Amino acid sequence: MSKYLDLGITEIHKLYQEKRLTPTQLLDEVFARLEKNKELNCFITLRKEEAYQEALKLEQEEVKGLLWGIPIAIKDNIVTKNVRTTCASKMLENFIPIYDATVIEKIQAAGMIMIGKTNMDEFAMGSTSETSYFKAPKNPWKTTHITGGSSGGSAAAVASRIVPLALGSDTGGSIRQPASYTGLVGMKPTYGRVSRYGLVAFASSLDQIGPMTRTVYENALLLNVLAGHDVKDLTSSSREVEDYTSLIGKEIQGLKIGIPAYLVSEIVSPEVKTVFNHVVEILKAHGNTVELVDIDYLKQAVPLYQIIAMGEASSNLARFDGIRYGYRTAKEGTVDELYERTRSEGFGEEVKRRIMVGSSLLSSQKAKLYYDKALSIRDDMQASFLKAFEKYDLLLAPTTTTAAYPLGESLQDPLKSFMDDVLVIPANMAGLPALNLPAGFNQEHLPIGVQIIGAPFEEKKIYQLASFLEQELSLDLEGGKCND
Amino acid sequence: MTKYEATIGIEVHVEVKTNSKFFSASENRYGKSANMATTVVDLGYPGTLPTINQEVINQGIRASHLLHCTLTKKMHFDRKNYFYPDNPKNYQITQNRTPIGRNGFLEVETDTGLERIDIEEMHLEEDTCKSAHKGRVSLLDFNRGGVPLIEIVTKPCIHTKEAAVLYLEKLRETLFYGDISDCKIEEGSMRCDANVSIAPVGSKTLGTKCEIKNIGSIRNVGVAIEKEIARQEALLEKGETLEEQTRRFDDQLGDTVLMRVKETGNDYRYFPEPDIPYILLEEKEIQSALETLPMLPDERRKLYLARGIQKINVEKLLANRTLSDYMNTFIETDLDFVIASNLLLGDISSYLNKNFMQLEETKLTPEKLLDLVAKIKSGELSSKNVKDILEDVLEKDTTIEAIMKEKNIQNITDVSFVEELIQKVLLENPASVQDYQDGKDRAVKYLMGQVMKEAKGSINPKIANEKLLELLQKTR
Repeated sequence: MSKYLDLGITEIHKLYQEKRLTPTQLLDEVFARLEKNKELNCFITLRKEEAYQEALKLEQEEVKGLLWGIPIAIKDNIVTKNVRTTCASKMLENFIPIYDATVIEKIQAAGMIMIGKTNMDEFAMGSTSETSYFKAPKNPWKTTHITGGSSGGSAAAVASRIVPLALGSDTGGSIRQPASYTGLVGMKPTYGRVSRYGLVAFASSLDQIGPMTRTVYENALLLNVLAGHDVKDLTSSSREVEDYTSLIGKEIQGLKIGIPAYLVSEIVSPEVKTVFNHVVEILKAHGNTVELVDIDYLKQAVPLYQIIAMGEASSNLARFDGIRYGYRTAKEGTVDELYERTRSEGFGEEVKRRIMVGSSLLSSQKAKLYYDKALSIRDDMQASFLKAFEKYDLLLAPTTTTAAYPLGESLQDPLKSFMDDVLVIPANMAGLPALNLPAGFNQEHLPIGVQIIGAPFEEKKIYQLASFLEQELSLDLEGGKCND
Repeated sequence: MTKYEATIGIEVHVEVKTNSKFFSASENRYGKSANMATTVVDLGYPGTLPTINQEVINQGIRASHLLHCTLTKKMHFDRKNYFYPDNPKNYQITQNRTPIGRNGFLEVETDTGLERIDIEEMHLEEDTCKSAHKGRVSLLDFNRGGVPLIEIVTKPCIHTKEAAVLYLEKLRETLFYGDISDCKIEEGSMRCDANVSIAPVGSKTLGTKCEIKNIGSIRNVGVAIEKEIARQEALLEKGETLEEQTRRFDDQLGDTVLMRVKETGNDYRYFPEPDIPYILLEEKEIQSALETLPMLPDERRKLYLARGIQKINVEKLLANRTLSDYMNTFIETDLDFVIASNLLLGDISSYLNKNFMQLEETKLTPEKLLDLVAKIKSGELSSKNVKDILEDVLEKDTTIEAIMKEKNIQNITDVSFVEELIQKVLLENPASVQDYQDGKDRAVKYLMGQVMKEAKGSINPKIANEKLLELLQKTR
């Protein structure tokens, strides 16, 4: 069997145009690979029959854009009409939505084929995907290790080359961190660039949907489809959408790049620093300026994030009460007992922990002390970032403090995964676009990434630099081995 | 004279008149079948987000103006978090920190003169859905869920039930005439709660307050306050201490009953709604919202009084918005408002009520009304004539002239003709003239009958009567 799935999207597109390959044939490969890599536990729900039907339908029409007929995996917190959407929770184990998220309408209009819904941390709360009610997905580079999270299933599905494209969501690094652990390109766009309508909310002021792909170019292609104003989401930007691929391949020279000093401090492991320094050397060698820059409040980013994210989450998840949809306790009782039992039985430990902390943080005595203060410090942090962008074209930082670690390790310590997110959280707090680019490996040959952060709506510039580095580094990322 | 003074604060919720709901595109209409005006947004479905209906913001701007509030030009929404089955997201989108209007007032006319009722704040929020309980089953209707509301809160500045009732009547009239809400208490589009406390006269601190919820009519707000004051007085007189309670008014009992004792510090965990960005009200937007305000009650009163309508009829007109609006379409004309309002409130209203009709369903055109009133004024039509032709006027497409012709009504208003006719009758009835001169007043009635007979009903009786008396007096 030929491995069409290992080809780039442009090549697949060419084969489609030349009628040497059909979407159905590609799907055969997808589902064969899926079967052989079941142990990775990438998917919660598959959409095999419907995917084939869609493929047949596509075959009746002309080949359209580059993404026409390309299989895609969707994180299971993005609502899909008639396709079970669980958020990896018992609470929504049997929940079948009656509408599509805006991004789903967009990928369908572009002719992509949704393969299924990917595994994740329950309600996206976690950094290892281990809080999933459906058990953690495994890292294709080393199956005893975490994929990262919360978009772990999407990361594993693309890294194992079951699908070329996936959607993730990023509230505090949930796209970039698993992308780093599995050797992928993952973009969290500017807050407001992609519609959140249909994304089951975790922390509304931080959540953003984004593309997870094997290459920078394919990532930009997918963002071209996702981005845009949506009247159904008041926080979506009406700013015009650009062609995010347009600067890819354009020469890089004389760029001014800042490195937030705290993000390369002793919090980062030596193995990550080695990879990072190598990237800095490449940039310098090509005539770019690279300097350390101080951004305010980065040290406090994690507790600030926890206050805002958990506060909002405690309110966003209140709607899961067993009355209109989702899990309902079997035991009868008063309304208050119904709430208590449904939520005690339906939510996992981490979700309950965050709801409790969040509720406490918003209670009247503490709201002013914590939540209000966190919001105002967030504004200050954002202002500090924007000031840095007056001087620098882009910012550069490691994405994670270490490479992927063994499954089970973080479960002992609920704070560990938070502290690991210290490098990715600032971009969410400031609403900035940020991308993970695979940049090297550790001694175990596990991938390590770097993060490029841009000013608001500067995704194009991020892709330009990422693509340049991608070419310079020229890593062999096929090691995200799958069973073929 | 009692030794206690009552302090009352009133909270009112009104449903805002708009085509669609506050945060979704669902229809905002009362009386549809259960759950037929509902979308995934109203159901609090996972992944859904609120949108903003600009019309609600405009209504808020108008209401703030009507209640003399200071408009909050930079505002946001907040989430009020609490679990209840009629609250689909288990949070309500409301305005806690930046209410659209602050520090307003309404003036009411009490026995002792104008009294100013201070309004603390007014804010925009969404309504909850409606629940019904049948045996062991509870049913939810989300049609009302997400309907826009304005909540208006007075300062604790009211001291009598009379002032409370007057305030509510004034508020209802203002919001109704401002087209903000239809303010139908029976349909729930206006809901009143009262906070009542009493303290010894002269006391600097307020007593323990009780909240009386959802009182079914403005009159009953007065009753509820009266009963509540009496209840609290009786307890204090017995030396008991009051506890903070939520009570409701029981229509059947005509008294308040305990709902629940307030637990301390109900914590709604308010925080700014992250799904809705800050709203900045621009001057242009404010002006255009205010441009569409209809004429307000007090302005109407002034206008009607200026055009000679009696106070009692002015109030009757204001109680009937349709007629008042109709009258106002004639402001630019020389229509005699006195005659027109008499007609509209009298014979025309009776006709409409008898036939269960609306004014616009009749064949009464503006031209016909102008003509009709002019003819009454000139004497061409007597009030009896009007009664005779009114059905035709309202039911037929023909002109007043044509109807008069058909009914053979021809009131000759030519005074010299009338005089001639009377002189003739006086000459023919010397005995009656003599009777008149002898002071027998009934002779006038007889002579008048003869005049009308002679004229075959074709002269204006009022003019004829005046003329007859004038000519008789000359014979004295």
